[in-house]
Parts: sequence; structure tokens; C-alpha cells
Amino acid sequence: MKNETWEIGGKVLSSRLLIGSALYPSPANMEEAIKVSGSQIVTVALRRQSAGDKAGGDFWNIIKSLGIEVLPNTAGCHSAKEAITTAKMAREVFGTNWIKLEVIGDQYNLQPDPYETLEAAEVLIKDGFEVFPYTTDDLVVAKRLVDVGCKILMPWGSPIGSGQGIMNPTNLKAIREKFPKIKLIVDAGIGKPSDAVEAMELGYDGVLLNSAIALAHDPVKMADAFRYAIEAGRLGYEAGAMQKREFASASTPTVGTPFWHQFG
Amino acid sequence: MIRISVNGEMKEVSANLNVNELIEELGYTTKGFAIAVNTTFVAINTYANTIIKENDKIDILAPVQGG
Repeated sequence: MKNETWEIGGKVLSSRLLIGSALYPSPANMEEAIKVSGSQIVTVALRRQSAGDKAGGDFWNIIKSLGIEVLPNTAGCHSAKEAITTAKMAREVFGTNWIKLEVIGDQYNLQPDPYETLEAAEVLIKDGFEVFPYTTDDLVVAKRLVDVGCKILMPWGSPIGSGQGIMNPTNLKAIREKFPKIKLIVDAGIGKPSDAVEAMELGYDGVLLNSAIALAHDPVKMADAFRYAIEAGRLGYEAGAMQKREFASASTPTVGTPFWHQFG
Repeated sequence: MIRISVNGEMKEVSANLNVNELIEELGYTTKGFAIAVNTTFVAINTYANTIIKENDKIDILAPVQGG
């Protein structure tokens, strides 16, 4: 059984995996991993380029050839102003109004700055951007972002690149319950396929990850693993898990059990 | 000549260049980049009307891998 299609940022997609394009052993490995993952959204970035350097063009040609949606980020920005400028530059270069808004507030854990993120989100939405804000799992910050017009929220599972998985499922669950109509993506911290399953079982609409695939011993095989994990997690959520019970409850019928023993 | 910063590096370029002329003088041949002057985005359709001044800080950004 395949997952049903879903909508995000005005696009109808079948895959719920958003994949990063960084940290792979080689461009060929990146290309293969993205294809195998089945992802239909790939994140990209902008950096300074010197005259005569064609690396940016080569990279962009590979991404374009994949024929999937591109989600530029504002990674490395520390203020709303920097993020707004980067978003406008990305819109021109990549030809999309989608932007993964990432404004870092602390260099140690790369935690997003909620104040600068909020300020940038409001300006960018007014300017016609579809903002994918990278945020923490703080419910009030999520609420403020929705108040300024965000239709998508991307709370972290744990700090970027840490591979620690989902630190606070209770907070993520609260955001899901509070905003049933907002598209929610767990962004950052995913380490293993089981982390992605957990995110999907919480009812999240998708998972964005990069390091978990790119830094695996075999990124292509791990891309395949995450494809299955995200499909499994989503199906599990849609199917509705059974209630947990305090005690054991036999699944095989007890009526007609031979050699009956009564435990005392 | 005037002194400006290009991607954080000090350079001497001709005075009164617009952004189109600056790109050419700096030797950028390939397309697919975006430009900011003094951390403000300069759209491609305004290159001809944007004149570079002494001490301007130019950023020229191109696609790279990102997460």
C-alpha cells in the first residue's frame, strides 16, 4: 500500500521526505541517494562564489536534472536582515518563492533565534514567500509564527547534525494537536530511520533530514531505509495505533485451551 | 579607481561602474548568481541602474549544497 498524496506550499507530492544535498561523499553519491530516497523536495543553499568558479553551476545542474522541488535555505544567517536578503537572492537564483527560513541564535547548539525568525517570517510572507521556518519545539513560538501567516512549521527533533533523534516528543505532539491544519515537518536531529518513524507516528506531515543519510556508511542504502521508514510511519499514524495496556492480554483465544493450568 | 570589498576581499575597480559593468570587470562569465550590495539584495533588472561606490561591500552568491 502506497501513502496517499499530500499538499505543501501549493504542490501535491507523494513523498513525505525532504532531503538535504550537503555532506555526501561525492556529487554522484548525492544524486543517487536523492533518487533512491524518493524525495520530491531537496534543500540547497547560497554561498560566495569567486570569478571563474564553476562548481556552483555544476551542482545546480545536477539538482535541476533531478526534476524535483527545490527548497533554498538561509543557513548561516544570524539576523532577520541577513535572512531576508538571502531569501531574495535565493528566489532569483533558484526561481522559487519557497524558503527554508533558518536564523541561528546560538553557535553552540545552532538553536534558531525565535525573535529574528519571527521578524523575517513576517516580512517574507508579505513579500510573497512560502516560508518553511526552522524553529524549536516551543509551542508559543510556533503560535507566533502561525499568527504572522506561516502555513508550515519545521520544529527540530534535536540540534542540527546531532543525530540525537526526537528529544521531546511531548512538545512535538502538543504542536501537532494545537495546529491540525498547519503542515508540520520535523527538521533536524534525525539520526536513524526509527527516529523518522517516530516523527511520522506523531502525526507530522513530513521529515527533513540530511546528515542521517549523507553521513551513513552507505548513504544510498540509508536513503532507501528512510524512504521505507517514512512510509511506514505515516501508514502507522493513519491506521491508528492500539492503546497501551498495563498488563499482558493473550492474543490467542483462551477458550478451548488444552492442558489448562490455573495460575495462582 | 575605487576600492570596494567583493566577497570579503578588498579590490580596486573602475569608478562609476554599474553592476553589469562590475561583474564584467571582475571576470564573472557564468550566470546563476545573485548579488547584494551592502547586504541589500540587488535584483537582476536593476543592475544597470545600480552604481558601485567607494567602500561598497559586494556579495556574489551561487548555488551550493545545503541541508
